[in-house]
Amino acid sequence: MNFSFRFLTTIFLILPLLNAKGFDERHFPIQEGGRIKPLDTFARNQLLAFYGKRSVKHEGLSAMDWIFNLILDPEKGQEVTKVFNIRNPEVVASLGLAWTNNDHKYVFNEVFSGLQAQFGLISEIHSKPDETRISFERQLLEIYFNATRFREIAYSLSCMVPAVIVNDPVLTEKLNAIPGKRVSYAHLIKYIPSISEIYKNMMEKPEEEWSNTEKELIKILLELQKISSNETAQALKLIPPSHLDKTGTWLSPWELMDGRSHEPHQDKILIALEKYLAGRFEGDKNKMMSAIEDYREGILSIPNAKPDLYLLKKETWVNEANLFYTSVAFYLLAFILLGFSWMLQPKRLKIISYGSLILGLVYHTYGIYLRMVIMGRPPVSTLYETVIFVGFTVVVFSVVIEYFRRDGLGLFIGSVSGTIFHYISFGYAADGDTLGMLVAVLNSNFWLATHVTTMTLGYGASLVAGFIGHLYLIQTIREPHNKSGLKGIYNNMFGITLIALFFTLFGTILGGIWADQSWGRFWGWDPKENGALLIVLWQLMMVHMRLTGLAKPAGFALGMIMNNIIVVIAWFGVNLLNVGLHSYGFTSGVALNLALFTVLELITGFGTYYWVQSRKERLIV
Amino acid sequence: MKQIIKRVSHPKIFVYTVIWLMVLTVLGTLAQRNIGLYASQQKYFSSYIIWLGDIIPAPGGRITMIIMLVNLASMLFKHNIWKLKKAGIIIVHLGAVLLFIGSGVTAILSSEGNMVIDEGAQSNYVDDYHNMELAIINTSRENLDEYTVFDQPLLKKGNKLSHESLDFMIEIMEYYNNCKVQRRTEPADIKYKGMMKNFDLVELNLEKENTQNRSGIIYKIENSNLTNDGIYGLILGQSVTQTATINNQNFEFLFRKKRTYLPFSIELLDFKKVLHAGTGIAKSYSSEINLIENGIPRRVLIQMNEPLRHRGYTFFQSSFIEGPEGEATVLAAVKNYGRLFPYISSIVMSIGLFLHLLINLPKLLRKNIIAGKT
Repeated sequence: MNFSFRFLTTIFLILPLLNAKGFDERHFPIQEGGRIKPLDTFARNQLLAFYGKRSVKHEGLSAMDWIFNLILDPEKGQEVTKVFNIRNPEVVASLGLAWTNNDHKYVFNEVFSGLQAQFGLISEIHSKPDETRISFERQLLEIYFNATRFREIAYSLSCMVPAVIVNDPVLTEKLNAIPGKRVSYAHLIKYIPSISEIYKNMMEKPEEEWSNTEKELIKILLELQKISSNETAQALKLIPPSHLDKTGTWLSPWELMDGRSHEPHQDKILIALEKYLAGRFEGDKNKMMSAIEDYREGILSIPNAKPDLYLLKKETWVNEANLFYTSVAFYLLAFILLGFSWMLQPKRLKIISYGSLILGLVYHTYGIYLRMVIMGRPPVSTLYETVIFVGFTVVVFSVVIEYFRRDGLGLFIGSVSGTIFHYISFGYAADGDTLGMLVAVLNSNFWLATHVTTMTLGYGASLVAGFIGHLYLIQTIREPHNKSGLKGIYNNMFGITLIALFFTLFGTILGGIWADQSWGRFWGWDPKENGALLIVLWQLMMVHMRLTGLAKPAGFALGMIMNNIIVVIAWFGVNLLNVGLHSYGFTSGVALNLALFTVLELITGFGTYYWVQSRKERLIV
Repeated sequence: MKQIIKRVSHPKIFVYTVIWLMVLTVLGTLAQRNIGLYASQQKYFSSYIIWLGDIIPAPGGRITMIIMLVNLASMLFKHNIWKLKKAGIIIVHLGAVLLFIGSGVTAILSSEGNMVIDEGAQSNYVDDYHNMELAIINTSRENLDEYTVFDQPLLKKGNKLSHESLDFMIEIMEYYNNCKVQRRTEPADIKYKGMMKNFDLVELNLEKENTQNRSGIIYKIENSNLTNDGIYGLILGQSVTQTATINNQNFEFLFRKKRTYLPFSIELLDFKKVLHAGTGIAKSYSSEINLIENGIPRRVLIQMNEPLRHRGYTFFQSSFIEGPEGEATVLAAVKNYGRLFPYISSIVMSIGLFLHLLINLPKLLRKNIIAGKT
């Protein structure tokens, strides 16, 4: 215990230190999905949507590098970088792409020309209601939206990027440019009034009489016109609104190019952004550094609703730190150590394993805590978060069990299920780990905190009880004569079942009260409610079957294993029933996994149960 | 007596009823896919008897829960249960009894509906979600309209309706839960009057969402006079009112959602919808209203999760309508005498379970006697 305690304190001391880093481009605030987030999160989420991962793995590009490369050179970004990951052969075929392409990654241009060829089909799919679309159609539509957004991102800063070269001495002076160096659209637009004289003169002369200056001017104007064709690309909402604005809607640089007057804080940020991009384009580190400093000052000068720099840094740190990956590593380590402890040196290795499990839990908890701080809301609200939180609950219960028993049972349960839940959550990350906002009815911190959290605690405890159910049956087969040991496990299982019942029952009633508060009805028999009710009823049945002797210990264990199936179906399966309402976009995969899980539990549960029963008969004979 | 209580309170009864309730829950949930929430709720949970495959009768949700309640309640009369060790158990069961009683009260006595109010307008009645009514209004008198209203249960095919305030009889020819208006292709018989001269009502299959159903009624007026005797039709949401002059009295016939009048009225001042900045996701809806009682207005803000409670009614922000002429709010109005039961029972049950856990957990979590896994 002492050992793990020391571990805990060191970790809590180190974690905040890792946090203290300066402001840089990753922290540029941007508005997306209803909240201000660091540019780093934005870039990662975009990549997650296009590519399926948070960095371009096969080219070793970080999300930030990818997005800046794309912005500085959109043509190249669309032609060369393979960021469209398409895994469905039907979709690949319909876009006219080669499936043999080794890793199914494609560049924008080929995807886009495929989409153009399918435009009739896509607009037909788009006009259909979502629940009637088949999975191929959904995916095709998603790629279409992704491609549109990709293009928008690529050109959203085209007014800020160094683009036009000015050579003529007269023009360079008037336009405040350095000969031979590229300047941005935004810059030139600002100085356009100073050349109106030249332009007017020029228009009065026939083309043959134009001077070199005038010829270059017309060239520049044409280039500007070409760039301004991107003015609808407004995906990057980097600029805070005017101080008069009441909606809190941020703007993209292009929106500010329409001739409106800029406020000082907007101008500061625009200029700093332009400078940063120029520095990055020229590879000038010092220029970038000073631009970042200007940017920070720009943000600090925002008159109202200033974004919290500390939170922006924190969130970027969370992106980088991958706390849940560290956590899963410790869980795995705990499991391996536990395995060795069985074979080699029981005592000491088990303590280290316990420490490792607790360390994993610390990372797990810290990750959940940081998500809460960033979002300013309770830990569980999306399906992704429920997975993370149920995993957390299970490990907490396991740590408690281990504390009472100290024989490795808790370690086994905790390390195995902790790892499994983390892996499941990684699978859901693309759908839920983007820290999105909630619709109105869910946007109530008190009820989210109480009902959903209680419910997930109930799920967690139920699954632990089911897990022990498996172990109980296996132990009965392995050591049928160890009566007192079995009795101990059985009591643990029953205790956890009571805890599970407490949380599921209380959580379900709380859900009813929430519904009464917001819709005026306590209970409406809708699928999600019924799912929760089924868990409660099943557990009530098991408890009473034990009481009446209808279920003997082995039967009770089997019952709790079956309870796992009910929990998982209530948790994930309900979303399958009304696809239209809770479409998370991954339902077909879920259905298969649910079916597999159910079959597995049925086979292992009933298999071990009948094995135990047949043994018993033999013993009696 | 002891014997009876022992039998009635046997936990095995609970086990079997809980299994049956689970079966009902599963069937009722799956059925929602096909017949929608409201119909499946009526069929499986709010019914006393259900017909499996339309042939075999089986206990419905209500009977099942009544059995559970009796079983639970009688358990409290057992003598051997009143021990300190079982204090937690007793409290839990007491809470459960309260929960069942509360749901019974709610099922029988609660009523719900909604109010649609345009911005700037007021309303003093609630439209029922599911029940209809046939209202006949005598508009002959100058300062008073006389209403005669026939409720949903009376509007059955073949029913003859009469009332002392009316000097004629009404016979219900057809009642459709969902129907549409169809233009007649050939001229109708002389006995068809009003809208029915040119149109006919055609029955449709029920929609999954009960509120999307458009009920309709065909009725016959008898014993009035030659010009007015005949067959009439009305459909929910009909734009032209059916009128008739019988014995020098002017009547209006309305087929509408059952109305419950409130002892106060609500005026919508402003409806607001707030989005998460820069997205289309709603962050909150709210209605700023005047609650007008005895001519005195009071300002109230109704929003998501913050309803208005007044005189036993609770008004919730439920939906809104955005039209060319402006916004309208949709408030759900609920009157439920049983609404406090779940609150009390959840507290009672939690205390009981918690107590039970406190008494038993330390014993259950220990590894018990030597020997173990390794």
